[in-house]
Amino acid sequence: MRIMLNDTSLQLATVSTLAQLLQQQQLRTEGLAIAVNNSVIAKRLWQEYQLQNHDQIQLFHIVTGG
Amino acid sequence: MLHIANKSFSSRLLLGSGKFAHPGIMQQAIQASGCQLVTLALKRLQLGQQQDDLLSPLQQMNIQLLPNTSGAKTAKEAIFAAELARDALQTNWLKLEIHPDPRYLMPDPIETLMAAEQLVKLGFVVLPYCSADPVLCKRLEQAGCAAVMPLGAAIGSNQGLQTRAMLEIIIEQAMVPVIIDAGLGAPSHAAAAMELGAAAVLVNTAIASSQNPVAMAGAFAQAVNAGHMAYNAGLAAAHSHAAPSSPLTDFLATL
Repeated sequence: MRIMLNDTSLQLATVSTLAQLLQQQQLRTEGLAIAVNNSVIAKRLWQEYQLQNHDQIQLFHIVTGG
Repeated sequence: MLHIANKSFSSRLLLGSGKFAHPGIMQQAIQASGCQLVTLALKRLQLGQQQDDLLSPLQQMNIQLLPNTSGAKTAKEAIFAAELARDALQTNWLKLEIHPDPRYLMPDPIETLMAAEQLVKLGFVVLPYCSADPVLCKRLEQAGCAAVMPLGAAIGSNQGLQTRAMLEIIIEQAMVPVIIDAGLGAPSHAAAAMELGAAAVLVNTAIASSQNPVAMAGAFAQAVNAGHMAYNAGLAAAHSHAAPSSPLTDFLATL
């Protein structure tokens, strides 16, 4: 399966859920938010959320700001 | 106490977390200010770049985190950002800001009102950054916003209360807290805003970009308290001519 992660195209072999993708990418989940195909996927769903071929995944995180 | 939605705060100073030279200085400034509401922003993650642990020190400080929608140019983008921020921080509190023009960063009143109406329906506690327009502030209040945040001057401009006359009308009419946001460049500006009867002020650049942000945070905290005390005490009236405060008798006339 091939997905877009922000601006990077990724070929996934062993990864099938959002949570597995985050683990593979070694991402800190604190302050992180995810949208798949422009819909926000709540944190509590990451564990079971099944990725599909051609999914556009966008990662956002909290930074400082006024 | 400052009451917003279902929460109460003893501090009437809100801090923006941007522009600090170092996260440690930001944390010290927050502590020195005594503030209990701190704004944060949202950004697309750069893959491969190290993620700083910004949140755990803040979460230990027992403050309400207030994510903003900065970067949104339309109501649609702001609602998307709001949903991301709610999930990222697990809070439904939101500083709504929509400013499409990067030169003056003036909030778009139409998109802001449209977004506020929808976000309130989606269960957000909405604090909108907005123009110092009394009619708009009333409309935002009627839409269910928990407070209104009219600007004193352009974001980061440090020009003080350029909108003073309009702020006076907004404060007089408001049934929700009025938080003066943006443009406050000196503690005296914050004190002046509080003397007008503002419920609180939000400061970022004036503290973060000062030579000593921690000391400046303390100075703003005192100014906010002084201004609020003065408002409660009831300021004496201004006059166009002198009014003697010592007796003007002719006891020296015999010389």
